[in-house]
Amino acid sequence: MEKKRILVADDSETITTLLTTALESGGYLVTTATDGYETYELGKTGVFDLVILDQLMPGLLGLEVIDRWQAEGVTTPVIVLSGVDDDRTVVDSFDRGAVDFVRKPFRVPELLARVRHRLSV
Amino acid sequence: MTEVAQLATLIIFAANALLVAGLIALKTTHRIRGRQQAKRKRRYMGLVSRHIAYPNCTDPITPAMATDPAFLDAVIDVRNAVVGPEVETLRGIVDRHGVMAHQIRRLRSSFPLGRRLRAAVALAELGDETAAGVLIHHLSDREPEIRIQAAKGLGRMGWTPAIDVIVGRFATETPWVRARFADTLLGFGSAATWPLLAYITVNHRFEREGPVAAIRALAALGDDQATQTLIEVLHEATDPEVKIATVETLGALGSPRAVPVLRNQIRSPDWRIRAKTVTALGEIGDVGSLDLLARALTDSDWWVRRNAAAALAKVGGGVDRLYEALIGKDRFAADAAAESLADAGELAAARRRIGEGRPRERDMTLVGHMSGDRP
Repeated sequence: MEKKRILVADDSETITTLLTTALESGGYLVTTATDGYETYELGKTGVFDLVILDQLMPGLLGLEVIDRWQAEGVTTPVIVLSGVDDDRTVVDSFDRGAVDFVRKPFRVPELLARVRHRLSV
Repeated sequence: MTEVAQLATLIIFAANALLVAGLIALKTTHRIRGRQQAKRKRRYMGLVSRHIAYPNCTDPITPAMATDPAFLDAVIDVRNAVVGPEVETLRGIVDRHGVMAHQIRRLRSSFPLGRRLRAAVALAELGDETAAGVLIHHLSDREPEIRIQAAKGLGRMGWTPAIDVIVGRFATETPWVRARFADTLLGFGSAATWPLLAYITVNHRFEREGPVAAIRALAALGDDQATQTLIEVLHEATDPEVKIATVETLGALGSPRAVPVLRNQIRSPDWRIRAKTVTALGEIGDVGSLDLLARALTDSDWWVRRNAAAALAKVGGGVDRLYEALIGKDRFAADAAAESLADAGELAAARRRIGEGRPRERDMTLVGHMSGDRP
């Protein structure tokens, strides 16, 4: 069976390392991006089955990246990861079509379970 | 003579060349070490992440890693990214491999300062309760930054026995350390309220700096339980700085119970207390103080007038009072009112309505006043 491809976009090396390690051990193929523009360009290719997207990144904000993808017809499901702990960000994320929202700091097994669930839908 | 001068020049030149070469070598070594450490840190982050994601992970963590600063940095970074049982997993890694013990030894050593400071920062960041006793001891360290890190670590772990010790040091610390100590108290939440109040009650008659820092810390904590004691402090206090801090904190806490004692302060001969008092009444949003705030627009001090106008903009019905002041006889009150109305967006709204051809009477008054067209 072909491995699922996940794009992990976060400007924190700790987060990308942590998620890459956890996801690769779980049998996924992981690509990382560290700023908004790189994320946008990678996501535009449409090769990913899921994106884990940080909200606060240099270049473009996570929600701006989603807006641009939508304008170009990219339909990859997005889980927004954010250290901004306000309801507005959560609501904005879902309004823009994010399939899930995870607050930082997060529980690794919980995030993995959300990824598994989303990829099985 | 010429030969001696030439020789001296040569020696100076050679010495300078050696010095420059030494500095370049030092900088290069430092840079290489930095890169190697960053590389090791990335490797350790992967290792720690595997242990976090998969608790049955058997990848070895060696004793040499436990003393490597790069490993410590990796643990701290991952510690800040995760929550819940993963933090316990990290704590287990740190305990089993002697990371805490190593850092505690470094902190206890007499020198060098840089190493002691890094150990203090590491212990503060890890926030592991096994270091609580050591951190309490180092609240009286000879180095201010180590004292601050010790307080920060204790706050991070919420080690409540440390509150009294931290508060007790307010009187003897420099303003900088005191302010940082006050910041760390936020980590304890409302558990810090009563020790702070006890300290203020006992000391506000005899000293200034400590109680003022404690009172400001209460504003940051935002615990309404402090209101009653602060009301009593405001009744009793004689030091103007203590009074000012108390008035500000009562405003920040926002309890209507503080309104009567605050109203009394509006008669203070000290303009600073009057200025802070009107701001506090505005923050509480007390409608019953509208007359008092409107009268403060004619205060002899411009700062009081300015704060009173800003406060009126925050209280229900206060904007009407500002418009009344605008057409009143007191030119200074009118200026303060106009400035506050502009800050509240009234001027922009008035100009918009005028532009749309549907101005209200008071729109013309405000715009006229701002353009220097006074009645």
